[in-house]
Amino acid sequence: MSPVAEAVVEGTLPGRVWLYSNYNCNLACNYCLTESSPQSARRELTGKQMVEVATEARALGFTGLGVTGGEPFLRPDLPEILLQLADILPVVVLTNATLFNESRRERLRPLAGAPIQMQVSLDRPDPIVNDEMRGPGNFAKVVEAIPMLIDMGIHVRIATTAEHIEEDDRVRLCELHRRLGISDDDHIVRPVVRRGRAVDFDMGVEAGAPDLPAELTITADGAFWSPFGPTVRQGQLDLDLLVTRTTRPLATPASALLRLVEGRPPGGDTQLNIR
Amino acid sequence: MTVQLVEASQAPLLARPYYANGDPGPIVAALAQVPELLEVAMPFIGMTLAPSAIPWRTKEIVILRTSGVLECRYCVQSHSLVALDAGLTRAEVDALRRPAPAAPVFEKAADRTLIEWVDAVAGGRGTPPPALMTAMELHFRDHEVVELAAVVGVTMMLNRFCTTLGLPTAPDVLARLAAEGLA
Repeated sequence: MSPVAEAVVEGTLPGRVWLYSNYNCNLACNYCLTESSPQSARRELTGKQMVEVATEARALGFTGLGVTGGEPFLRPDLPEILLQLADILPVVVLTNATLFNESRRERLRPLAGAPIQMQVSLDRPDPIVNDEMRGPGNFAKVVEAIPMLIDMGIHVRIATTAEHIEEDDRVRLCELHRRLGISDDDHIVRPVVRRGRAVDFDMGVEAGAPDLPAELTITADGAFWSPFGPTVRQGQLDLDLLVTRTTRPLATPASALLRLVEGRPPGGDTQLNIR
Repeated sequence: MTVQLVEASQAPLLARPYYANGDPGPIVAALAQVPELLEVAMPFIGMTLAPSAIPWRTKEIVILRTSGVLECRYCVQSHSLVALDAGLTRAEVDALRRPAPAAPVFEKAADRTLIEWVDAVAGGRGTPPPALMTAMELHFRDHEVVELAAVVGVTMMLNRFCTTLGLPTAPDVLARLAAEGLA
């Protein structure tokens, strides 16, 4: 067993490897870590690169994959890529779920039954505050998309990112996700992290390597400590959570990350509940 | 094109130890863009260029002369001061920095041979002339020649690196160079 595999089994190293499929997004949320928007440079990983990383990740002993962006589903080839990835390791893909028009829905159908979870962002139980943060019409599109995805046989989770959420809002949000067919186990609430555009809006909690799970994150710019690492501030990529520029062979960043993790006191990353 | 020199607040995880004592200088701040390279390069560079079995003064003759031959502004400026600190005279430092032959300025035969050998290694192509290698054998043992060759090689790498990236000389270095009449 490789040192990375041992560390994953022992829980020293998280089992999931994240892939930043692209940085552009159809939305421009005010707390976005990567300042993503329709104008952002794509900085894509190719499908071939993602599949090769996934293959190496499995061989090294990692146990899951995450795909994030930007909005991954802006890429027309994403459903096919997800299916290839899911043949290698289970996948969770993060999406704003606002792009699933009829033609895109048809391309999603093959995902049903595959080990793929879709994590959809929904921040508030009503459109006013939700859409203030995420853009006009976001709420309506999301509450329409979620039952459609579930009906299609796709496993859906909801992620709520909140600077501060009143108890009443939290209760109503949970009622809403249950009505939409999402169990409590598939609803996560996490804080806004003060990186990227959140800094401009004076939002979020400060989070560095000690606060973040060390989930190896592969981007077109290098390998990072966490999916909260490759953030962008005023158009400049942050380097403070860069592990290596080398992304392949994956053993290079994985070994470096493991060395860094082994030098960190245990349990530090559980304080802020950043997942 | 000017590459971004990584500031302390942006220092990647593997690079942070190099920022622990303040400004690490532009070579580290540039290499921090590629932290996996930094963490292997700096120990090697440090071990090669730092005082060792070879006397500090001898190493600085090699470093400064190589930098002069390759016309690396950053390395010449920085190592002019290090060379003074290592015991070279101002006249010796001045001679090593210039393209003209520097060996005649030095009294010891070993120094003169070394400078001619550096000129051949850093400025020439192929193996240095046999007569020069024979002369080196009179003054230096095998392991010393090996180490001196490594010093020239690492210095040449740094010369090209610093010149290509146009790394800036620190203001305090420029001020002291002016005070020493070496600006």
